[in-house]
Order: sequence, then C-alpha cells, then structure tokens
Amino acid sequence: MSRSNKKWFSLNLGRKQHDNSGSCGCGKTSGGCGSHSNDSEMSEEEFYNAAVDASIGDEREKDGFDQVFDVKMDRRTAFRKLTASLLIGAGAVNTSCNVLSSDESKEKAQIDWEEQFKGNYKLMTDDEKKGTVDRLVRSYQMRTGKTVSMSSKNAEEDVLFGYAFNISKCQGYMDCVSACVKENNQDRNSQMQYIRIHEMKDGEGLKFDEADDNYYHEVPAEGHFYLGTQCFHCDNPPCVEVCPVQATWREDDGLVVVDYDWCVGCRYCMAACPYDGRRFNWSKPEVPEEEVNHNQHYLGNRMRKKGVMEKCTFCVQRSRAGKNPACVEACPTGARIFGNLLDPNSTIRWVLENKKVFRLKEDLGTEPKFWYFMD
Amino acid sequence: MMINSLMNKYLGLIAFCIVFFSCKHEGDKYHGVMEKIQVEGNHYEGTSISSENYLEGLETIEISEGGQTFLIPERKSHIKSFACTECHSKPLAEMQEADIKKAHWDIKIVHANENTMNCVTCHNPSNMDELHSLTGKSIDFNNSYNLCSQCHSKQFEDWKGGAHGKRIGGWAPPRASMTCVNCHNPHQPHFESRWPARFNTQKVKERE
Repeated sequence: MSRSNKKWFSLNLGRKQHDNSGSCGCGKTSGGCGSHSNDSEMSEEEFYNAAVDASIGDEREKDGFDQVFDVKMDRRTAFRKLTASLLIGAGAVNTSCNVLSSDESKEKAQIDWEEQFKGNYKLMTDDEKKGTVDRLVRSYQMRTGKTVSMSSKNAEEDVLFGYAFNISKCQGYMDCVSACVKENNQDRNSQMQYIRIHEMKDGEGLKFDEADDNYYHEVPAEGHFYLGTQCFHCDNPPCVEVCPVQATWREDDGLVVVDYDWCVGCRYCMAACPYDGRRFNWSKPEVPEEEVNHNQHYLGNRMRKKGVMEKCTFCVQRSRAGKNPACVEACPTGARIFGNLLDPNSTIRWVLENKKVFRLKEDLGTEPKFWYFMD
Repeated sequence: MMINSLMNKYLGLIAFCIVFFSCKHEGDKYHGVMEKIQVEGNHYEGTSISSENYLEGLETIEISEGGQTFLIPERKSHIKSFACTECHSKPLAEMQEADIKKAHWDIKIVHANENTMNCVTCHNPSNMDELHSLTGKSIDFNNSYNLCSQCHSKQFEDWKGGAHGKRIGGWAPPRASMTCVNCHNPHQPHFESRWPARFNTQKVKERE
C-alpha cells in the first residue's frame, strides 16, 4: 500500500498499479458491492469545506472575547472536529472503490490523499518538494482546467535578501499595494493586503497610532510623509519561535515563509509579530480565474485555503529568479530598493553603508532585514 | 569533607556545562544581521542568478561613474523628433517668423526659475543635437545625467550608489538603473500629485 522511501503513509488507490482487486471490503472486483452508495460520496469541495470548517468553523464570524467564551462544544461538534481529516481519507477510499467513478476522480482522490498526509515542506527532500508541487499543479488543472506553473526552487548559496525604503521618496501612491495584491493572488473579498502605507504628519516622528493607513485623497498630502510596512523578514523572527507546528521558518536566503498546508491556523505568529506583518484567511480566498497569477511558488503566491496564515514573501517566486518583488517594480518613485545583502557591490549594500538607515523597533532584537532611510 | 568537595566539583562542572552549552544554538552565531552580512559577505563569490534576461529588448549604454559601472537606457532613439537639426537648421528667430505650425507648443518650463534657467542653459544653441554644460562643454543626450548633476550633486551621489533612481530588470547583476530623464521630465522635473491606486473599503467597515 505504501511506496518505499516515504516519510508519510501513502495509500495507493489503484491507479496504474493493478493491485486494487478486492480493495473494497466486500471482495468483489466488478460491479457495485452495495456497501458504498453513490449519494454518500462527497464532492471535493465538500471534503475540503468539511475539513476547513472543522479547524476554524464559525469562529470566522466572531472575534476576540467571543471566540474564547462563546463556544458551544456539543458532542456533535467535538466529533466533527476529530473526524475532519478522516473524511478526506474515507472519501478517497470511497471514490477509489467505486467502479462507477472515472479514472480522473480516482486520480483526484489519490492526490487528495497524498496531499492530506504529506509531510512538512521544510523537511522534504527536493524530490518530495517536486512531487507535491506536481500534485498541486495537476489538482488545479483538474479542478479549473487551467495550467499553472509552480516552482519549488530552493534558496541559492550566497544570497541574503534585504530591503530598503526611502521615506523621502514615497509619495503614497499605493501602486505597490495594487501590484502586490495582483502578484500574490490575495483574497479580493476581504481586500487583504500585505503592504500598509502609513500617512504621517511632518515633524512629529513615527507615530503609528496617529498615522492613517487607509487614506483616500490626493497624495502627497501637504505636511505629510509616507512610510510603508510589510513583513520585514526578521533574521531573528519571533513568529517562527511561537509556531507550534513549525509551519513557518526562515529560509537560508533570509525569507521567512509559511507552508500553507502545514499551518493549523492558530494565529500565534500573528500575535507574536511586532510589526503586524501577518494576515489570516478568515474566509476562502477568492480570486477571479482570469486574474490569477499563474507564475507561482509553493512558498509564495500559490492559492491559499481558508484558515491559514499568509504574508509578504518578498515575492519568492520572483526574487529567487532574479527579479525584484512586485512592489519594487511597481513603485514609480524608486523609493523601494531590494537586493542581495551578501554582495558587497549590490545597491542595497551601498545604501546600508552610505545612508543613515534605521529599522523599526530595533530594541526588540528581531533584526529585521528591512531598513528605512531618507535622502 | 571528601564527599563534600567532590560534590562541589561535580556541581561546578554541571554549572559550567549549562553555561557553556545552553547559549549555543543555531542562529546565534552572530550578534546581529549586520555582523552576519559583514562576515558572510567577505567570501562572496557571486551567484548563478542573473537579471540579464529581464533586460532583453531594452537598449542600454554602459557608464562608469564614481567607481560604479552600470547600465542606463539609451535615450536618443526615444526622443520623438531626434535629430533636432532636421528642423533646427537655421537660427531660431527666422523659424519663429515663418508661418508654420508651432512645434514644442506643449513644453512648459517649470524647473528652477527664469533667473536661473532658460532653454539654452541645457540646450546648445550652436548645435541643437547636443546639450551643453554651464561652461559650454558639449554633453550627449544619452549622458544627460552629466547636465543634471551640475546642480543636483547630492542626488547624483545617491544615484551612482543606487539609493536614488529605480532599478530596471531584477535585483541581480548586471545592474541597470533609470537615468534622470526616465522618471523626471527635464522641463517639469517634479512628481505630480494624484489619487492613490486603491482604497480599502473592507478596512473601513472593520474599523467602524
């Protein structure tokens, strides 16, 4: 049932290998055995929703106090929570045994199974990474008929990504925010955005509590300056420390990334981040099919699910290929500078060595790799 | 007494081990990211990543300024009516008299003020295909940054280093940067005010 050299149990659902005779408990190899009726079969969408509902359920409607004190946990809910993962497995077996279901739905079920029980991306070998990426691409193709290209490119030797933001240059146009949303397939319904541009009053220092990060008037406004925040890819990231399942970690090139399939949605990282760099999917992220960016990375802009964390990855799908992140490319003022901190001839290094740079909340020791400077 | 001193030795050894090993875990090799950059950058030997592909189709020229060598976009082929001498073959006064359609009617000079600058501060009236410096040295249209740097020396320093001026292509070498006139209209170099690209209506609802 399981193939060799695998870190997790895998169930072969009788595709290609012809050993599914009698895999249905009744022993019959042809015709329906009666133990699986068609109407008990759930669609992928239903499996998926059941699984996600089990993890956050109706908590998405509530917040803070309500979530802690207004919890109804009857026997049924508890049971549902326990069996959520099993549903997918059971469904997969169900589909595979059903002789009426097509080869394609068997393949879907097989992929669902493999994906449900795969390991943590951080611990995968390159082959396993390629395997999961191939499955996700195939799964997306079967569900939508569209082909995406998904990369599992690892961090390169001698690369450490860093970012600099010129406060004097930023005019508050928010072209970066728009580009980021499009590039990273962020949920359009909740209008999620990784980047926030804070409009601050001149001469009063950096007062984030008095700044406006959702202005709508002609910019730059008289007597104001603009400062952008996003994930700072700390070298000593507190979000990584608190993750109970190690679903988020710092890669060798300095990017702090999330395995969306390993995340359990506890939001500890969100609470631990001193910079409000992380975002949570309270609902299933929706992106119109024609607007989906098909150039994806497993750790970057691939489609997320309900109930997982996400955040800026310095556009890992772009930066590991040598491109600038979408925000850098979109900025019409050149206020955003990105590059390799280990390359002594890079522009980012020139900025660090020749401009008066500072970082936010340096005293926390988080060591963000995101510097601010002025002309 | 013997047992006591033995105990003390053991306790001392244990304490030493705790102090010595407990602070050593991965990631604590450096005192901060700056030190990490300095140390690990010392034996930097380049990467396989290049942004060459992203510069395809862009005509560039290589310049070397202040110890930095990088690419900037070629300019002359982007000036609509270059070469200027195709029209400017006779003195300006004669051309203005002729009863022909006006050229350059849309150019307004909003750059410094009239006491400081007019057309011939930058344009060479004796050779319209070239620019010239304040002292009359000719400057090619492709290298117009030499003209701007006469006054904007601070911006020039930042631009050479890479703190001013947007990168073209990717972050990886070779470096290509916008030159002054790619972002600033030389006749009206300031940035226009405009409306932001987006407004988050959901955020407004959430914060009500």
